[in-house]
Amino acid sequence: MAVCCPLLQHEGERGEEARRFSLVLRAADELCPWVEPVALGSCTLPARGPSRFFGGEARLVDQLGAAVIGALDGAGPVQIGAADGLFAALLAARAGVIVPPGGSATFLSSWSLAVLRRPDLAVTLQRLGIHTLGQFAALPARHVLARFGGEAVLCHRVARAEVGELPGLRDPRIGHRLREVRGELPDVTPQAGFFGGTSAGDLRAAGAVARLQARLGPEAVLTGRLGEGRDPADRGRLVPWGSRPEGRHPGRAACRAPAPWPGRLPPPSPMVVLGDPLAAELVDRAGRPVRVGATGLLSDAPARLSIAGGPWRQVRGWAGPWPASERWWSGRRRRARLQVVDGGGEAVLLAAERGRWWLEGRYD
Amino acid sequence: MFVSTDQGGRAKPDLPAELAARARPVSTAASRLLPLPDALAALFPDGALRRGSTTLVAGSPGGGTTTLALALLSTVSAAGGWCAAVGVADPGVVAAVELGLDLRRVVFVPRPAGAWADATGELLGAVEAVVVRPPGAARPVAARRLAARARERRTALVVLVDHAGGWPFGPDVSLTVRDAEWEGVGEGHGHLQGRLAAVAAAARHPAASPAVHRLWLPSSDGSVAASPVCPASPTRSATTAPATTA
Repeated sequence: MAVCCPLLQHEGERGEEARRFSLVLRAADELCPWVEPVALGSCTLPARGPSRFFGGEARLVDQLGAAVIGALDGAGPVQIGAADGLFAALLAARAGVIVPPGGSATFLSSWSLAVLRRPDLAVTLQRLGIHTLGQFAALPARHVLARFGGEAVLCHRVARAEVGELPGLRDPRIGHRLREVRGELPDVTPQAGFFGGTSAGDLRAAGAVARLQARLGPEAVLTGRLGEGRDPADRGRLVPWGSRPEGRHPGRAACRAPAPWPGRLPPPSPMVVLGDPLAAELVDRAGRPVRVGATGLLSDAPARLSIAGGPWRQVRGWAGPWPASERWWSGRRRRARLQVVDGGGEAVLLAAERGRWWLEGRYD
Repeated sequence: MFVSTDQGGRAKPDLPAELAARARPVSTAASRLLPLPDALAALFPDGALRRGSTTLVAGSPGGGTTTLALALLSTVSAAGGWCAAVGVADPGVVAAVELGLDLRRVVFVPRPAGAWADATGELLGAVEAVVVRPPGAARPVAARRLAARARERRTALVVLVDHAGGWPFGPDVSLTVRDAEWEGVGEGHGHLQGRLAAVAAAARHPAASPAVHRLWLPSSDGSVAASPVCPASPTRSATTAPATTA
């Protein structure tokens, strides 16, 4: 028996799909042991024992459907089907049918060759007038080997339902990915341990992170990632713990020295970087708003600063503005940054964009 | 090149000398101390962060308390230990890296809302050191429970508050940051290069006497450094770059 969640098959940047899928697996596992993930968004379970327990396959499908929909929490439809063999079972889930034992060959016969995901073979066969798995299965096995080679023989046996597994159906990374989102592995296995392995400390920390995520929600427990860019917010970001590392070598980005970017402010960087910048007002001695001109200079010396409508603070010193014309080729953003030290000795990072000032960071 | 399959007696490669010196304190389970950056060692009676102790970092917002609190974690993190920051909203990731933290082993829980004490309690024992900023004043019950749990689980607890009264339970070491002054910014020229601040350290330890240290929080490379300036005569110059003692 196979369960597919079509909306969970492709993982987005936040890793929400893998997390959801692990909840689906847990829900299915409560009904029946031996639930096995195949790839992201699909899993299989042995149907015979549980269906006898629940009183028939239709009852099991009902129970399983309700449990999975509960775990999906609105994240799209669920498809359940049963057939002999993994390949047929996944197609049965897609069609939403229960194929009786021994009926897989008949069930498969009407499907198009495209479901084999072997485009070259499908094109060749279509030129010969063979369009369905049934027509392909009807070819004599020895002729298939002679004309199309070993790979086609495997597909032929799958089409005849002699073999249930087709290479490429199972995602070899799924187990690792699920352990990652469950917190059973630290996020960056290859380099977390001191001697290249996973230490007891790593496992303890990962367990605590998983428990915190379960209690506060996955978005509440974060890890820092370094990126490229000029903005403090681009160069360093907080992402949910366990979300998919971008790039092929996630660990490497964290240890690499940041590349020089023109327009980037030298260290020290602001200790507080606001996820949502606050509106700020910066005025000169006469109370007029300070603007950044086309030449990249301030209209006048800033004298007072107010953040988010708060009280006015004297400006003791400032540095900049540093222009940062991001995406200059599309002319979308022209920004300038200013470091300001106020009368209380507190330093802030301001950004000017389209005539308005924003508080981007604090040097706390 | 051979690999030992025996988990118990796993053959460890010989480490380079400078790495071995940094790795020893946290890799030894029996150690009761966590390493600190050189500049901060003088603030503590043991010259290191004691496991299970509570450290209070107090000072007005914007005065460098967040920098000091996270700097206390930097050497632990760089040497392979896990750390966490609870309630530190919008932490600057780049600044944390400049301080020397290894992001791969730092857990941020920036907005635990009402669950800040629960979240901290969960992390005590799971990581080597936790920085927590309670929202407003912490209730005495919560403070005492967390301090007791830190001692029992042998995790260093660093509490970040606006003033010393914000934590109603006597800490082992109390650090107060004041007189912070930024260097390097004039009227429209230069750039922020460092912040010189006075850190008053007081320990419950009877042998330790309170002392005021002058520190760069941070220095011009983003890390913390001890100021070579004599505490009695702090000179302030807007143009000279702060010295970064390695």
